[in-house]
Amino acid sequence: MYNCELYAYHIIFNTMDQSRRSFLKKSGVGIAALTILPRRVFGKMGTDSSIIAPSDQLTKGIIGTGGIGKSSYHFTSDQSYRLVALCDVDQKHLDGAVELARTKGFGEMATYHDFRDLIHDPNVDVVHVATPPHWHGLMSCEAARAGKDVWCEKPMTRTIGEGKRVMEAIKRNGRVFRLNTWFRFKDTFYGLGTKVEPLKKLVDSGLLGWPLTVRISGATGFAWKFYWVGKENLIPESVPEYFDYDMWLGPAPYKPYHLHRTHQTFRGYWDYDGGGLADMGQHYIDPVQYILGKDNDFPVKVEIDAPQQHPDAVGTWRSITYTYADGCKIILEGQGYESEGKVPYIEGPKGKVFQGFECTIPNVMDVINELPDPAPQNTDFVDCVKTRKNFALNEINGFHSATIVNMGVCALRLNRTLNFDPATQTFINDPAANLLVNQPMRGEWGKLL
Amino acid sequence: MKRFITILAAFLTLSVAVFAQDSRNRAVDTIVGDVLAQMPAENAASFKLQMSDLAKSAPASVEMLVGMLQSAEKGANNKIEYAINGVTNFACDPSNESVKAAVLEGLQNGAAKLDDSNNKQFIETQIRLLTPEVQSAPVFTSVNIKTYSKEWDKISEKGVLKALKSDDAAYRVTALRTADTFAGEEFYALLAKSYPKLSDAAKAEVIYWFGFHKAASQLPLILSEIGKAGQLGFNAIEAAGKIGGPEAADALIGRLGTEDCEAAYQALLRFNGDIRAKVQAALNEATDSNIEPLMKLAAARRIYDVAPIVFANIKTPKHSAVAIECLAGVVRPFQADKVAEMLASAPTANIAPLQAAYAAAISKLGVGERYSQLRKALVKFDNKERFYDILASVGTENAVSDLVEAYKANASAAALQALMKMNNYSTASTLFEAAKQNNEAALSRFITLVAANEKNADRMYTKLMSAFEIAGDKAKAVIANKLGSCPTLDSFITLSQLVGSSDKDIAYAAANSSLAVAKNCVDDIDAALLKECLNKAAAILKSTGDSDDGYAVDDIKNFLSTVEEDSPVFTLSDEEKAEGFEVLFDGTNLDKWTGNKEGYLPVNGAIYVTAQYGNERNLYTIKEYKDFVFRFEFSFVRAGANNGVGIRTPMGVDAAYDGMCEIQILDHDDPIYANLKPYQVHGSVYGVIPAKRIVHKPLGEWSYEEIRVKGNHITVTVNGEVIVDGDIKEACKGHNVKAKGAESNEYTVDHRDHPGMFNKTGHIGFLGHGAGVKFRNVRVKEL
Repeated sequence: MYNCELYAYHIIFNTMDQSRRSFLKKSGVGIAALTILPRRVFGKMGTDSSIIAPSDQLTKGIIGTGGIGKSSYHFTSDQSYRLVALCDVDQKHLDGAVELARTKGFGEMATYHDFRDLIHDPNVDVVHVATPPHWHGLMSCEAARAGKDVWCEKPMTRTIGEGKRVMEAIKRNGRVFRLNTWFRFKDTFYGLGTKVEPLKKLVDSGLLGWPLTVRISGATGFAWKFYWVGKENLIPESVPEYFDYDMWLGPAPYKPYHLHRTHQTFRGYWDYDGGGLADMGQHYIDPVQYILGKDNDFPVKVEIDAPQQHPDAVGTWRSITYTYADGCKIILEGQGYESEGKVPYIEGPKGKVFQGFECTIPNVMDVINELPDPAPQNTDFVDCVKTRKNFALNEINGFHSATIVNMGVCALRLNRTLNFDPATQTFINDPAANLLVNQPMRGEWGKLL
Repeated sequence: MKRFITILAAFLTLSVAVFAQDSRNRAVDTIVGDVLAQMPAENAASFKLQMSDLAKSAPASVEMLVGMLQSAEKGANNKIEYAINGVTNFACDPSNESVKAAVLEGLQNGAAKLDDSNNKQFIETQIRLLTPEVQSAPVFTSVNIKTYSKEWDKISEKGVLKALKSDDAAYRVTALRTADTFAGEEFYALLAKSYPKLSDAAKAEVIYWFGFHKAASQLPLILSEIGKAGQLGFNAIEAAGKIGGPEAADALIGRLGTEDCEAAYQALLRFNGDIRAKVQAALNEATDSNIEPLMKLAAARRIYDVAPIVFANIKTPKHSAVAIECLAGVVRPFQADKVAEMLASAPTANIAPLQAAYAAAISKLGVGERYSQLRKALVKFDNKERFYDILASVGTENAVSDLVEAYKANASAAALQALMKMNNYSTASTLFEAAKQNNEAALSRFITLVAANEKNADRMYTKLMSAFEIAGDKAKAVIANKLGSCPTLDSFITLSQLVGSSDKDIAYAAANSSLAVAKNCVDDIDAALLKECLNKAAAILKSTGDSDDGYAVDDIKNFLSTVEEDSPVFTLSDEEKAEGFEVLFDGTNLDKWTGNKEGYLPVNGAIYVTAQYGNERNLYTIKEYKDFVFRFEFSFVRAGANNGVGIRTPMGVDAAYDGMCEIQILDHDDPIYANLKPYQVHGSVYGVIPAKRIVHKPLGEWSYEEIRVKGNHITVTVNGEVIVDGDIKEACKGHNVKAKGAESNEYTVDHRDHPGMFNKTGHIGFLGHGAGVKFRNVRVKEL
């Protein structure tokens, strides 16, 4: 069984690897010693500095100082990880964040309007992307190219194509990337009532049999936040003077300003996010991907049962079903879904686990205790940055779970079942669906990605 | 209800497809209108039905839809957007390839005539979905995967080896990370060959990398590094655990009790394979230095056979503490008595681990057996309270009564604590007694239990309110929250008082709960009270300013807009009584009606329509009527709703043609009806006499309508205004059907035949065309 540590490089390098090897054989270039990477990829660590010493202080800059960027979990500064820079296109948000930093005694903040200026600020080691999702891909890639490590909020990207680009940019520039959800390695996992670790052990042991079906549902202790829906028939409003709407939109299509499209309620619009599915999807699905050992794999099919979706405003759905090639399923049960009887969280041919870790296997905790613990995960981000290790939830497994979310978004937006090719990460025999894999960006922004 | 039949001349500029009629004999604008009235489709089946209708009549239907888009300031586009996006999605589905070209043509024709830039952009995105082969948009053009690959191609195995000699740790690690693509025996060997010349730091990184890739062939090298100082030794231990196998297990067990003990212990916990036999063997020959980590491993992995060793070590002062901690991991039921004995006489420090051990020992027994074991212990030992928590975990009714008895007899705090840990509703009354003695924890647990377990809403309310009487502000806020799952009138009245509380948390909780209760028992609550309370709730939620609360405020507003004032059973006024009116629907039943009683339901005093289009789906009076005055009230609950009143009609036919006529009921103000003909507006004798166009009241408000039929004369009055007053025979000059051999009927405004026009009598019918309209207070008087 795979675990999260196994890289999924075959995805990016599959074709390349083969062509490279044959090229090496033919030309003999492989023997010639070529530099592996230009030094510039190390950014400020450049020629005269080495790796950051364990005692050194890391610095971070936050892009996006709205709800999540200013939350107490992120808006921190201490000896090992100091906040030095802030960026926002809403002057009020930026002013508020500066004031918050002052009252918390964080010291002087560099403030920026354009995220590129924060990224290229030599005092910033780690770029924290806390914007709406339509910016995540661009900013992460730009930061990686500038030699910065990245802490990115979920969902990782709002399209499959952008996720791929982030994975490439991080890898190519040798950066450390952390996607910010954490249930695969810590905290009680919603309705399970425990961390995911015991379930991971149980699944790995084969005691539940194979293939498995996982239900992420109200009936198994999860909530899909269906209040994140958009509004139709928005009547254009005038843009507040303190808000740079054009820059806020960035790569997103231009649509007339309305307050509801932006701060706090942006999740209700496909241009920027994907409602409760995109908000909670990676929180709920990423640990499942880990438990099922699917960090290297993608589902091959996504089916939906939903009312018709509006082209702009996100609506609700009854269910979304993902199927892997080996028959494993992840079923998201949403608004109006009527489940029959007691719903197992995870179900295999040999056993079921319900909400609260109730299990059909007698004395399951004793059984689980006899099993080896899962492989260690690198869960200290600061340590990962200093020792250049991959973080537990990184650009690779993060891309995989973000893609599951985005497959659901594509199927909802097209009102139909879609078949997916894990090798190429495209939809099979569906050119229109593949247009949603790579979406155009407004103006020149596409060139940055 | 009438589908909008087109006058040919009006659409001569459009393609011929406009005139194509589908199997239900509908013209294109009718199809468009019908689809729009059903937007958004509720499910896949409805979506397919609506969209195939549109697609089959494309390009005309699609072009017409695009033409209906207005600028956002001018009106609502949402239904049109649903329809356009829906038909585009339908057409870009590879299985509907055959309709793609026509839909695309419709979009392109429509786009050419659009002025509004936002609408234009919307249509362009739709065109894009249908033309994936024409991608002019600059999508990821400057940096594509090929460009990346070029630089990657330069990386060689040798390059990696060279980089490992660098002093720059970041450089080395990045090189190794790129080397993941080379992982395989060939490269492992290359790496191992240059390994001896590397610095210790680089060696540590290489060993980590081998472990990461589970390079089993390199295990001897890795094992040889175990015991080295610093990161190198640590990484070697971790890598050995990841690779696994008997040699690695021996090597790691060998490091227990040394300076690497903790690292080796962690690696063994995660060891790739089963270590139980190895640990057991090692325990048999354990020394003072490694017995503790070995016992811990045995406990963690449930190696029951080593229990005697653990028991023995409890008596060894040196290892006693660890041995006691480990006991829970290795005991079995037959050792339960022994553990109970130890627990009863243990010093305080050992109580918790021995309780865990005792619970573990009996955990494999059935509930009944566990209970009797505990009974035995309770009778036998003096320190009974040491067993209470375990008794609580049994969870049964007799466990509850034992603990309640213990609490009552000795005011035992331990028994009360144990009761609070039980997930058993039978504990509630005792917890409430304790709560009255100022025990806050007991009160909080009582509230939780009631809210989670009480199935009867009235009882839940009574119990929560009894808690409320003795609660502090904090608990009161919790109760206000829980009242949200208690949908009764009493609960709502209490909440309507609590929203005015000066304590912010109580008022906030009550605000949230009041909406939940209102939704679930709206019919029981006086409308005025409901509105007053929810408006207060909205104000409270708005003032907190949280984004989720913003949604709750919207929710309240939407909900209030649907709230009906009380609707008593309809009775005739004295005047109507004297005139001889007969009530056909008084708000309670459809006894005087026949036909589609599933699609027409009496709900809250009104006939609520869910019926879809179709002649078999209408509702008819049982009696037939000749000359009459028909009075009723109607209300649109959904924009664009469509229905109609059939006059002197047989059942199961299209009343507009095979009945005398149909009087249109239509929310013609909705922008989806931009193409409406005068004889299709509300009140029209459909296709025969156009009505004066009125402006409807806002959605949800009631209008009063009277239809008077005498001979061939029809009078329609809405809200006191006469909008039709004419003779249908005169309107078509007596030609209800076309002349023999004629193409169409030149005398009717819709140019259609109306063979039933001169029916002498027939049923009155409601001619459903989808959800969204309500009727009430329906009465009739025969003339």
